[in-house]
Amino acid sequence: MIKIEHVCKKFPNIVALDDVSLDIQPNEVICLLGPSGSGKSTLLRSINALEIIDSGTISFDGVVVDTHNEKQLCDMRTKMGFVFQHFNLFPHLTVLENLLLGPVEVLGRNKEEVKVEALQLLDRVGLKEKADEYVNKLSGGQKQRVAIVRALCMKPEVMLFDEPTSALDPEMVKEVLDVMRELANDHMTMVIVTHEMNFAKEVATRIIFMDEGKIIEENTPEEFFAHPQQQRTKDFLAKVL
Amino acid sequence: MGTILDIFTVENIMFMLQGAKISITVAVFGLLIGIILGTVSASCKISRNAILRGIASVYVDLIRGTPMLLQLSFFYLGFPMLYQMITQRYLAVDALTMGILAIGINSGAYTCELIRGAIQSIDKGQWEAGKSLGMTHQQILKKIILPQSFKRIIPPLANEFITLIKDSSLVSTIGVYDLMKTSTILGTNYYNYFYPMIGAALIYLILTILISQVTKRIEWRMMESD
Repeated sequence: MIKIEHVCKKFPNIVALDDVSLDIQPNEVICLLGPSGSGKSTLLRSINALEIIDSGTISFDGVVVDTHNEKQLCDMRTKMGFVFQHFNLFPHLTVLENLLLGPVEVLGRNKEEVKVEALQLLDRVGLKEKADEYVNKLSGGQKQRVAIVRALCMKPEVMLFDEPTSALDPEMVKEVLDVMRELANDHMTMVIVTHEMNFAKEVATRIIFMDEGKIIEENTPEEFFAHPQQQRTKDFLAKVL
Repeated sequence: MGTILDIFTVENIMFMLQGAKISITVAVFGLLIGIILGTVSASCKISRNAILRGIASVYVDLIRGTPMLLQLSFFYLGFPMLYQMITQRYLAVDALTMGILAIGINSGAYTCELIRGAIQSIDKGQWEAGKSLGMTHQQILKKIILPQSFKRIIPPLANEFITLIKDSSLVSTIGVYDLMKTSTILGTNYYNYFYPMIGAALIYLILTILISQVTKRIEWRMMESD
């Protein structure tokens, strides 16, 4: 579904991605783990073309993404949901308006029709009664659940999560992970950058471990946590577990 | 020399208020033109198209780098001349229309920088969220960035309006009967400029204070909605 081949990306004083290749199949739940600055967020953002890669290719459904072609780029992005660490909800709109903007403006769908779907999804994450509130009135956990629903309203083929719980107070982490767990159970294709090791162990079908812009190790969660192969993986796990 | 009672008759006060009405008209329409031009040129300035960016830069630099009085005279005197040179036909221009146009075009250059500042103060996560939904640059600007920028721009825009109320007095130089012009006429008629100038100053002061009070109210309202 997503094919990443020999991708490199440099920032002014750091190599963020160093010849990364990765194949993502439908219905996979991939958790990207690694120390901060290892390039996992950059990789995820590159998939959505929020970062422009220096070399290599990323293809989606067999089409190589051309970042100079705005139409193709927008088209591809409508098929991917992206959930940000800092939510990035639109503060000038209500919860419901946040959800409707993409489907109505971008996909040109009927507003009333989308509204019904959006309210159903909001109900599923327990926020139906917040539909007409402005997003600034919500707690962090509520904001992130709305952000997930906003992405889902586009009916994406894959969901990308960039440290979705890192900006949350500890007591709000569970409500967001519960929503993601439910998505995984529904066989949504997901790529998740996270520091929640237990969550990764539980929902991932594959763990990718990155360090210094490279993929160091990849394995099933059982093998990865029980029998890490590389020294760097062992060091990392010893620190976080 | 006329005394204060000679000058401030009902008739003369009405004459000055008529002038004030023209001053307000110039400022209001100038501001509207300014907002439109400012929005368009600010959008050009942050565009990825180098030609659009260039045009907007030339516009802003040209206007901000030359005196407003010169721009005003150019529109009223120079522009009809240019028209005549090109088309060989005479163009009759209305002083008020040209005054409003010149003030509006001038204001647009300053408003452009205000709007651009407001646009750039919006968190870049807002752009990214729009992109991730598949929105185009244009759509993000129109639906996400500008609506949030306008909220931030109301206080500086109110300042711009106050500036325009005062700067509109420049149109008196091209023969528009604004507050400045009417009070000068009274001064000439009564051989006494003192009282008409004080009267005009008071009216300008009332207008500008009124605007800043109204803005404060609006800001309060917006703070509540945040």
